[in-house]
Parts: sequence; C-alpha cells; structure tokens
Amino acid sequence: MLTRRGILRAGAATTAMLAAPHIGRAAGKLSISCHAVHKKVITTGPGGDITEEWRKANGVEIEWLTFGVTAANERAFQEASLGEGHLDVTFLLDRFDGPQFATLFEDLGTWNAKTPIPDYAEFPQGMLDAHRFGSKQVGIPFRHATHGLHMNRTFMKERGIAGPPKTLDEAVADFRKLSFTRDGTKVYGLVFDMEDPSCAMDWVRAYGGDFITHDYKVVVDQPGAVKAMTTLHALFHEGVIPRNVVNMKTEDVITFMQQGRAAMTDQPFTRTFNYNDPKASKFPGQFEVTPLPLGVDGQPIPAKTSVWGMALPRNTSQKALAWSLVRHLSLPESTIRAAMNGNGPVRPSAYKDPRVIKSLPYAAQEAEALKHARLVVPGFANAAKAMDMFIEAMGAVLLDAKQPQAAMTELAARVRPLLPSA
Amino acid sequence: MMVAPALSLLLVFLLLPSIYVGWLSFQASTYGQHARFVGWANYATIFADPVFWRALGNTLVLVQVVVYGELLLALLLALLLAAPLRGKALIIALLLAPYAITETSAMAMWRYMLEPDVGLINQALVGIGLGQIDWVTQRWTALTVAGLIAVWHHLPFSFLIIYSAVTTVPRELMEAAEIDGARPWQRFRHVTLWVIMPALLVAVLFRTIFAVRLFSEIWLLTGGGPARLTEVLSVYLYRETFKYHEFGVASATGSIMLLLSLLVALPYLWRLYYRLVRGA
Repeated sequence: MLTRRGILRAGAATTAMLAAPHIGRAAGKLSISCHAVHKKVITTGPGGDITEEWRKANGVEIEWLTFGVTAANERAFQEASLGEGHLDVTFLLDRFDGPQFATLFEDLGTWNAKTPIPDYAEFPQGMLDAHRFGSKQVGIPFRHATHGLHMNRTFMKERGIAGPPKTLDEAVADFRKLSFTRDGTKVYGLVFDMEDPSCAMDWVRAYGGDFITHDYKVVVDQPGAVKAMTTLHALFHEGVIPRNVVNMKTEDVITFMQQGRAAMTDQPFTRTFNYNDPKASKFPGQFEVTPLPLGVDGQPIPAKTSVWGMALPRNTSQKALAWSLVRHLSLPESTIRAAMNGNGPVRPSAYKDPRVIKSLPYAAQEAEALKHARLVVPGFANAAKAMDMFIEAMGAVLLDAKQPQAAMTELAARVRPLLPSA
Repeated sequence: MMVAPALSLLLVFLLLPSIYVGWLSFQASTYGQHARFVGWANYATIFADPVFWRALGNTLVLVQVVVYGELLLALLLALLLAAPLRGKALIIALLLAPYAITETSAMAMWRYMLEPDVGLINQALVGIGLGQIDWVTQRWTALTVAGLIAVWHHLPFSFLIIYSAVTTVPRELMEAAEIDGARPWQRFRHVTLWVIMPALLVAVLFRTIFAVRLFSEIWLLTGGGPARLTEVLSVYLYRETFKYHEFGVASATGSIMLLLSLLVALPYLWRLYYRLVRGA
C-alpha cells in the first residue's frame, strides 16, 4: 500500500543516489567515451583486443560509450565540467580541443613523469602539440587521420589514365577527364566534404597557400589560397565537382565513391576499406590510395592530418587506473596491434612492422604522407568559428556570391580578431 | 491549492530555466570556466553578426510561409472532409501519417528524394522537362523546400484541431443560414468561420511558437548552408552552443527567440483573450 512514509523513504533514497552518483557505479569498471572507430581498432581485427591483457591484470572491465565525432567531443567536455564525472578516459580530436578547455583535464605530462610511456620520444612533436596548450599536455596521441588521394582504377582505365597523378596540374587534368557519364550515371572527377575545411585545405596548400599558420597568422588572403579557390570555382562550374558539394558530409563522399558517382577524393587513407568494401561498394578492390601529388612548388602537398588524443577528465575518481590504460594503449606493441585493426598509428616505427605492412596495403604511402602532413588549423579558442567562416567564404566563392580574392580578404579580416594574439 | 502542483511544475521546468537562461545571456560562459558578467556584450556580438540578421530574416519568412500555408491547407482539408465522403477514414489516416514519422527519418527520406542527380523527385521533374529543383545552391529554393516539408510534416497537428472544430459547427445554424438564403461562401464566412475561430487561433498560436523554433528541417536538409545562407535562428543557436560552446551568446540568442515568439504570438494571444475571457 502506498503510504506517506513510504513515499518519503523512496524520495530520500532517490536523493541520496542522485547526490552520490559514484555509489551507482559498478566496482572494477572504467568508462571510456570515444568515437565508434576507436573502440573498433582497440578491440576488433587481426590485432585482437588490445585491452584484454590489461583488463585481466587489473581486474577491470571497460564500459565503452561511443558517439559520432562532434558528440564524442561534446560529451567529453560536458562530463568533464561536472563536479564528479562518469568518464575516466575521453578521446578528443585536435580541432575540437582548445586552450579554454585545458583546465577540465589532467596534465598528462605530470603522469608521464611519474610512470613514463616507453619510447615517449617517438611520438612526433606535431602530434603531441596538437593536444598541448601552454605547458599542459592534455592528450596523448592515439590515432591520426591523414589524407591521401583515393581513385577508382576502373574509371581511370576507361578514361585512358595510366596511373595516379604525379603533380597538381596532372591531378586537375585527371579530375576533368574523369568527369563523364557512364551507363546513364553522371560521374564527377572530384568530390569532397565541406563539413569543415579539412579537404579544402589540401588544395589550398597544394597552391602554396594556407588558412592560419602554426604561429597564428592568417594568410588565406594570399595568392596561394586565392588561386586554389579560383580553381575549385572553375571545377565546380564545369561540373567536375558535384553541385551539392556545398552541403556534403563525409557519409555523402563515401556513398559517391562506393556507388561510382565520383572518381577521386582526398580523404583519410583508412577510408579505402570503405570504398573497397564488397558489401557496400559497386567497385570492390578497384580503389587505390596514394599520397597527394606534388604541389605547385614541386614539393609534396602537406596533406591534412587530424590527431585524436586520449585525455583524463580532472573529475575522474580513477585517475591512476585511467592513466594505466592510456599508458598501455600507448605502448609500441599496442600501437602496432591497433594499426593492424585499421588505426592510423601515431608511432612512425609501426609502419615498418611486417604485421602492419601486411594488414594495411597503404602503409608505406601513408607513412610518406604523414611526413609532410599538417593540422587543419592550430588549436585556439575560436578555431571552430574560424573554420565555419572558411566554409562560409568558400561556399560564397563556389556559388558566385563573391569573387575569390574579395571572399578571402573578407574572411581574413573576420578571422584575425579571433586569434590568440589579437 | 488545487493548482499548486501544476504551478510548481511550471516554476521548476519553465520559469527557473528561463530565468537562468536570461541570467546566462549576460555572462561569458564556456566549459571549464566560471561565468563572468559581460553586460550587454553578448547581445552586441549577436547584433553585429550579419549571419544572425540573415537567420532572423529566414526565420520570419519561414514562420509566415509554414504557419499560414499549413493553416490554409488544413482548413481546406477539414472543410472537405467534414462533408459526407467515401473513404474518409482512409484519407484522414493518410493525412495523419506524416506525424508518425520521426523528423530525422523524414528529412533523410526527403534529402534522398531531392538529391540533384539520382533523387526520385528531381529525376521525375527532369523526365517531364521541368528541370531540377536546385535546392542545394539556391537560398530561397532551399528555404521553400524546407518550408514545404515542414508543412507536410506538421499538417496533421493543425488539421486535427481545425477538423474537430469544423465538425462541431451546429447543423441547425447552417440550415437556418441556408433557409435565410445565405450562399456557401456566406455560410462559411458568417457561421463556420465564426464558430471555429478559437480553434484557428489556437492552431496559429501553437504553430507560430513551434515554427520559430524550426530546426530539423533546415539542419538535416542543408545544415544551414550553402555559405550559411539558409540558417535559421535555432541553427544559429545550435552552432553557438554545440560548436562554439559560447553559452552566453547562445543564451542571448535563446532569449531573443523567446521575445520573438512572444511578439509574433501576441496578436493571437490578445485575440484569444478577447474572445474567450471577455466573451466578445
């Protein structure tokens, strides 16, 4: 029977549970928030479950909370802002991270000083810097996603193209040749997504331009970026790039490539598994991926890379255990096994391991591309806003709303006040 | 005392969060930092942003198109279906069906059907020589498409309210008007419309408030693009909150949206008050 005393007891018990969320947490459990791909490359594939040994040694089970890219970062910030969070390890992507959020996370430099990660010096400085703000190391690199040029060999053969383009001019000529109609389907020479400037930056840098340099200078109004915009505008209006490119997301690019509606794209190397997937692709086994061609200066184009790092929310009650897992996942052997499962290895030595070479058909090419790769933008508080402004300006160029030089000059003027030194 | 629980719920779930958002709109706030009072700076930032003004313009246009388009269509269908008609139950079921589809699924379906090269709608239009709907690059075409989809999806709401009102129009009144020689248009204007007016006002009021918050139709169709040309206020707010994590600016945007909803809805609220409370 429902009594007033019973209701009061239930209310008190609920209040106690809400006030002390850690009571509800199972003992021997570590919670990780990440993108689905992180869980996949850590637990599934030829490299096996990398955490198995660690879990047995520590008597701990892992609770995986997987999200899309934006949601994974958002969840990390939300949980880390609470008095006591539910997450012990979070994965952060460089361009979502920023100095304003650094206070939410542990300084992993301190943890590394106490219990060092073996061969820590092997991590490329650029990858460490992607998650370093001031003297604070917020994240330990776990995965990189570096762009290569993907191409459909069937289409290249049909259009009389012998092999991957060596130079930027050859690439642009190939994009044009590969724009044709095949069995009633319009094939576009080049496709990319415009969710953020990742793909566009490859072509801006190909022409010797950039958006924001590593020392926070806006150079998007310089001739390189303007020339890139002019070329992309021309390709857009010639029908070499699809008209809906302005609204395209990564999933759209995958669909275009798998369905034979586009011939080439600049996307992370690992995406070749999606394009060649016999269950989803009309051209399984027909996609090749190479480093981007040489730019206008005759040097390799600095391909876009992004770096996912592992961070420890400051409010986790299991810091030592969480660091122990981060350290385990950062071991040279763990890096190799994750690479075998499809991860972009953050230790260059992994590319020389025979097991990785066997598992990743593009290992040598990706290692080569990584040598010259750059982040989309350096980390700063307003990076997300600046990137949105870039996409807005690029859209205006493609749609003829603004001339390339005028759009880039205006963009530079809008972005400069957002930079740390301003 | 009887209304105390309801008032408490309103206080906890509506008034207190609204006060908090109002307070936050005068702070600089993001994750990991204490809120800092900045006066009207967030509002100044918003008013200096050309994207905000474009989003406001898009929102106002969409609200008008969606609310009045939907109202007109719902009224026509309600009048049509109020008359004896074969297959009425099936037609009503078909009309209500869109409401059963989640917005995400509905938008994914429309996005695919409107795809420039392979979408069924565009292929059909090209097939009959009308050419494609270029919603991917044209601002007003994209907004029109988003508006039409919003009307399609939310029509059942307005239709149900108006249809139920139309069916309550006393038959004796209509018969008396007919005997007095009133023509169909006069019967509609002086009898039906008069009886269903409160229901129409309720439909307009709710749909106006919902339309000011319109989000999925734009976010899932265009993402506010190309070049943020199709952005509406709720998308602007979303970016400030979830992409830029500027909660002060986002709260200021929310407060402006609340004010806008009140301003747009005020004439209808006044009219309702006038009819229902004062019995005019």
